[in-house]
Amino acid sequence: MTTITSVRSAVTAQGLTKVYGTGDAAVHALRGIDVGFATEAFTAIMGPSGSGKSTLMHCLAGLDSVTDGHVTIGDVEITRLNDKRLTLLRRDRVGFIFQAFNLLPTLTAEQNIRLPLQIAGRQADQALFDRVIDTVGLRDRLRHKPSQLSGGQQQRVAVARALISKPQVIFADEPTGNLDSRSGAEVLSFLRTSVRELGQTIVMVTHDPVAASYADRVVFLRDGLLVRELEQPTPQTVLDTLVALEA
Amino acid sequence: MFRTTITGLLAHRLRLLLTSLAIILGVGFIAGTFVLTDTIDAGFSQSFTAAADKIDVAVISKGDEDPLPPSLLAKVGSVAGVKDAQPVVSGEAPLIGKDGKTVGELVTAGVSFPSYRLDVTSGKAPASDGEALVDTSTARAQGFRIGDTVSVLDQKNVRHEFRLVGTFDVGVDQSLAARGAVAYTPATAMRMTGATGYAEIDVTTAGPSRESLRTAVAAVAGSGAKVQTGEERAADLAASNGASTDYLKVGLLMFGFVALLVAGLVIYNTFGILVAQRMRELALLRCIGATRRQVFGSIVLESAIVGLVSSILGLAAGLGMGWLAVFLLGTYQPDVEVPTGTVTLSPQTIVIGLATGLIMTVVAALLPARQATKVAPVAALRTQTEEHTFRAGVVRIIFAVLFGLAAAGLTYAGVTAKPDETALMTVMAGGVLAFFTVLILGPVLVTPLSGLAGWLPGRLFGVPGRLATENSRRNPKRSATTTIALTIGVTLMTFMAVLTATMRATADHELDSQFPADYRVAAQTGDVPHTVAEALRGHPELATVAEFREAEGKLDDEDYPIGTVTSSVLETAMRPKATSGSADGFKPGTVMIADYVAEHLKIKVGDDVRVGTAKKATPLRVVAILDSQSLLPSITVPEQFFDERFGKTDDNQILITAADGADLDKARAIVDDATQPYPAVKVTSSTEIRGQFDEAINGILSVITGLLGLAIVISLLGIANTLSLSVHERTRESALLRALGLKRGQLRGMLTVEALILGLVGALVGTVLGIVYGWAATTTISESVSFRLPVGQIALFIAASGLAGVLAAVLPARRAARTSIVGSLASD
Repeated sequence: MTTITSVRSAVTAQGLTKVYGTGDAAVHALRGIDVGFATEAFTAIMGPSGSGKSTLMHCLAGLDSVTDGHVTIGDVEITRLNDKRLTLLRRDRVGFIFQAFNLLPTLTAEQNIRLPLQIAGRQADQALFDRVIDTVGLRDRLRHKPSQLSGGQQQRVAVARALISKPQVIFADEPTGNLDSRSGAEVLSFLRTSVRELGQTIVMVTHDPVAASYADRVVFLRDGLLVRELEQPTPQTVLDTLVALEA
Repeated sequence: MFRTTITGLLAHRLRLLLTSLAIILGVGFIAGTFVLTDTIDAGFSQSFTAAADKIDVAVISKGDEDPLPPSLLAKVGSVAGVKDAQPVVSGEAPLIGKDGKTVGELVTAGVSFPSYRLDVTSGKAPASDGEALVDTSTARAQGFRIGDTVSVLDQKNVRHEFRLVGTFDVGVDQSLAARGAVAYTPATAMRMTGATGYAEIDVTTAGPSRESLRTAVAAVAGSGAKVQTGEERAADLAASNGASTDYLKVGLLMFGFVALLVAGLVIYNTFGILVAQRMRELALLRCIGATRRQVFGSIVLESAIVGLVSSILGLAAGLGMGWLAVFLLGTYQPDVEVPTGTVTLSPQTIVIGLATGLIMTVVAALLPARQATKVAPVAALRTQTEEHTFRAGVVRIIFAVLFGLAAAGLTYAGVTAKPDETALMTVMAGGVLAFFTVLILGPVLVTPLSGLAGWLPGRLFGVPGRLATENSRRNPKRSATTTIALTIGVTLMTFMAVLTATMRATADHELDSQFPADYRVAAQTGDVPHTVAEALRGHPELATVAEFREAEGKLDDEDYPIGTVTSSVLETAMRPKATSGSADGFKPGTVMIADYVAEHLKIKVGDDVRVGTAKKATPLRVVAILDSQSLLPSITVPEQFFDERFGKTDDNQILITAADGADLDKARAIVDDATQPYPAVKVTSSTEIRGQFDEAINGILSVITGLLGLAIVISLLGIANTLSLSVHERTRESALLRALGLKRGQLRGMLTVEALILGLVGALVGTVLGIVYGWAATTTISESVSFRLPVGQIALFIAASGLAGVLAAVLPARRAARTSIVGSLASD
């Protein structure tokens, strides 16, 4: 069932295996996954709880080590990199949006958005910055601290931060998990817009069929294996697939 | 609830480790002080008891001034039941060293002890008038050996020679240890020291009990003597020596309490943070039915257990510290006779150590415990902990203003008052209030100060530096308490440094401005023969030879020493400082009087006072009231008047300046030559005097700095503690930064810079307080101080505090950098 759909992949995994613990306590989170994520596309990873979707994302992003297999971001095989080079790769080529706790509480929204660039010692492209800020609608909130922002606004800041450094790929881990449906829809629209208009590549982990329907393609995981995928999903087709998987 | 507390404690044992260490050090220092002084006291009473064993009854003179008449010896010896009565002679007779000059700064003691009290370490006791023993450490220092001939001056400065037949140990007698001693036969000792009688007569019994013998001896001794049994004598001696360990004890305990105060702040902060971190846990307890009182009780119980366990460990540490101090004293200060017994923890030490440690810990935890009771049960349901925004409340500002005004008022009053002890106490009270003001204002001050301290690191280290600055001010209350602990130590160190530097500068300045003498000639025995000054005059290399003389006289019918100085010197080289009037008008028929004498007798410039001897006094006009730091005698009369009244007496001291451009070696050689014939007359140069003064001051300063070091170490534990708790709190934040591309090294750097900033803020506040109050204190010492800022030393304190902060960050930073990103992000 596994296919590599695009020749031009931003991120690919081959034979990706992840085992936690050893012996009897060993948990096989990923059991050999081959998958590719196309550039300038919005891909969602879905699956029931414990299917290994978060682990897959962590391995793809170089946040966690792999037990076996290869992961390539762009033309770099990250499974061979040491911690320092991995850090630099994340800094320069990868963006992140987490479910919660995306922002440093001591910094203002603008400072949070510029943080990855500052860590890298790069200058922000002012035109891009303005465009991103206007897209996510944060112009009048730039000087606020995270504690003064709503949950939706905080996630929009996180999206802006991920976009600003023009990474090769953005990994989003349940980005709408903590939001009400309206704020969630807003954030997902921004993600889709950034793929369509800015040519961004996004890989999102979610368990919400509605969120997944914003993506161009959905891949489904079960028990550490890639079991199905959907192109141009709708909430209904995603839900049907999930129900079929659970059965 | 009790079980919850215990399991909670066990779960957080690592976090409480540093807190315990702070308590252990504080309690350990206090217990160690008691262990040390108890050991010394025990040693003293042991050796006194040992000495007293040999004496059954002692007849003691009521004072050095009226010794026991020699005839009493035979009378006591003939009392029924007395087996043996032996005299003790004690006085002064300068021993001449190998360099031909008298030994040491103090006049050597001349003594005679009964043979059973003389602790002969080599050779034998003196048997004939031509034999003498020298105490062991003097013999070692001077290189005397048995069989050598040693020279001693008698009361008339006549030289006598003795054959050295042995050395002896002065034991625990601090006075003999300090002066050095030569032991003779009783008759020789009296001849050499000029003593007219005995200091003590030691009696041994032929059978009767000590008590009945004491009564019999007392009957013949009369009222001029005190008669004691051996036990009473030992108890008296031990008590008088015990008094000297009391000073040591009080001094050390002061440092111990500073350390405990700092430890208290560390504990307060730790419990505050732990409570903040356990908000959800506590809220959960409240949810399932724990009352506020139970939550409060559980925190207090936790602090009590920590306090008790740490205090017990502290007692063990104190035993170790006390043992180490005794060992070091014995090893590195063999000249200081410190008797040492076995090192033990007395019940008193155990009670005091446990009580101070326990009470301090519980008291420090009370406020955090109260805070814990305010947790709303619903807080358990919230997922994200809220950032603490700090606003300076009205109450805080009001208190700060009140304390600040009181501090400023007291300080101003102290600084502008007449310099005396009251002024100093006023300033010190102002200082304590100022410290409280800083304590109250701490959270307000820490934000701008950390900006200041973080300015350079922010420029140097880029993003990690700037993040560190932000982090250091995100919880101002916590940062303030962390840094104020360091502030205490740095304040006291800076204060001492400023005070000593100023005192040194002032002393130098006084010497220079009044009379820039190059050499001082003085005699241990008091008198410098007139011929020395005569031999010094007429040399082109010496510009001034100022003779200072004093004699017993009368001022307005009261006994006062009357003095004079070579008159030509007052006209040329010497500028005595007057608080009123002027030395310019000093001529025959006038007198200058020191301020404290003038104050006592209510004398003003322009008054006529009667000066002279008991037989003949002459009215003299007061032309100047001299500053008490003046070199001149307290009642200075013209030289000619002095000669007429008191004759050509010997000099007290001679101060000499070399001529400008003169060969200093040659000048020194002339002075040395002139004093050469007189063993008791010694030359010191002003550089030597300053060197000795500097050495003494540096010695004191380094001891105090070392003792305050403990407070600094404890406050560093506080920084390390706060930092590691913050690291724990910010696990997810650190993981986020790492995910965003912050390198491990940068994360470590960020935490290190945060600690550096905390250290610098503490040091900055401390140096400012220390300098201000150091200055304020110097103004209360005398009206004319030359204030001196020891810039180098203070810079060193600041740099050391920053460095220490960095050290404190090593472990927390390592732990933060090691944590896995995924695990931390996932964690709740």
